[in-house]
Amino acid sequence: MEKNKNPLSPHLQIYRWHVSSLLSISHRIVGVLNIFIITLISIWALYLLFGENKYELIRIFLKSYFGKFFIISICWTFSFHILNEIRHIAWDLGYGFDLKVAKVTGVLVFIGSFILTLVFFLVGKYFI
Amino acid sequence: MTKFNLPQNSKIEVGEYYKDKKNSRNLRKVNIYRWDPSSDKNPRIDTFEVDMDNCGPKVLDILFKIKNEIDPSLTFRRSCAHGVCGSCAMNIDGVNTLACIKSHTDINGELNVYPLPHLKVVKDLIGDLTNLYKQYESIQPWLKVEQTGEEKIELNQSQKDREKLDGHYECILCACCSTSCPSYWWNGEKYLGPAVLLQAYRWINDSRDDDKKARLKKVADELKLYRCHTIMNCTNSCPKGLNPAKAIGSIKKMLATS
Repeated sequence: MEKNKNPLSPHLQIYRWHVSSLLSISHRIVGVLNIFIITLISIWALYLLFGENKYELIRIFLKSYFGKFFIISICWTFSFHILNEIRHIAWDLGYGFDLKVAKVTGVLVFIGSFILTLVFFLVGKYFI
Repeated sequence: MTKFNLPQNSKIEVGEYYKDKKNSRNLRKVNIYRWDPSSDKNPRIDTFEVDMDNCGPKVLDILFKIKNEIDPSLTFRRSCAHGVCGSCAMNIDGVNTLACIKSHTDINGELNVYPLPHLKVVKDLIGDLTNLYKQYESIQPWLKVEQTGEEKIELNQSQKDREKLDGHYECILCACCSTSCPSYWWNGEKYLGPAVLLQAYRWINDSRDDDKKARLKKVADELKLYRCHTIMNCTNSCPKGLNPAKAIGSIKKMLATS
């Protein structure tokens, strides 16, 4: 067929990103990351069963700078996913489709995810 | 498998540079996607220097100016030039819109004009929308009634029921929304896309239509409907200010509650 030889017009390469599309793709990426992170947390919990000596390894990791960075990153991925999921639930109920509302809630989710991370961090540090 | 890159024959090359010959003062660079079906070459981006002192306010005016004064082979669709027909839909400055109602003064810097994304290019700025029209036909966009016509009774509609169609009947099928949707890029063969789903909703929502249940059943499909992930590129691009994302959300809600 001759028609199929025609070129495909550019898409991802040229299309401008909006708040909503950026959040949509990051929601997916963070969702996949969270699956791996939950697996890691499960392994972490598993190490509790292996006794004190083995658990010491985890403790050393968490005390290191990378460990701390890792934990704070986890707080962010979960905060972001939870908040954006609330947005999706609102959409499923039929609310928040208005262009301005969707943009404002998107920005709120992004800012809120950092605030929630901070809250997680502070609660973890001073109350637990 | 989803292909994020352009196929080999669609890679864009640098094209010609048309310098202004009249020593105009107020010049603007306009980059336009070109592809000539009669040659075997890849698509290219031609750059035109356009004299903005003698040019109308819309992007379509620029395209006409280039076609009339610089390169008559530039090909694009247009008809009404008033945002009613939907012919001149194209990707301007990274967003799909109608060239005839998009003001070029809103855009800073160089002006980039491409055809609607992820379509087979027919020539220059014209994309092949056959698939979209087929999908539009598949939702049977006409009134289906049990009346035979012999009854000679008018199909009345209350003002309230008529208002339910506002925000849907205005769609001009320019395809800006569907071709802005990443889900439609990757699953265009099966996913109906925002334009067609907005129309599907318009007919589901029509109080005079007797086929509501069958229409809903037909559209309720993992690929046809639920490929919408509320990315909202459709609503962001609609030149008529409609909200296809909301219409799709309403269909989903109807299916969940019925």
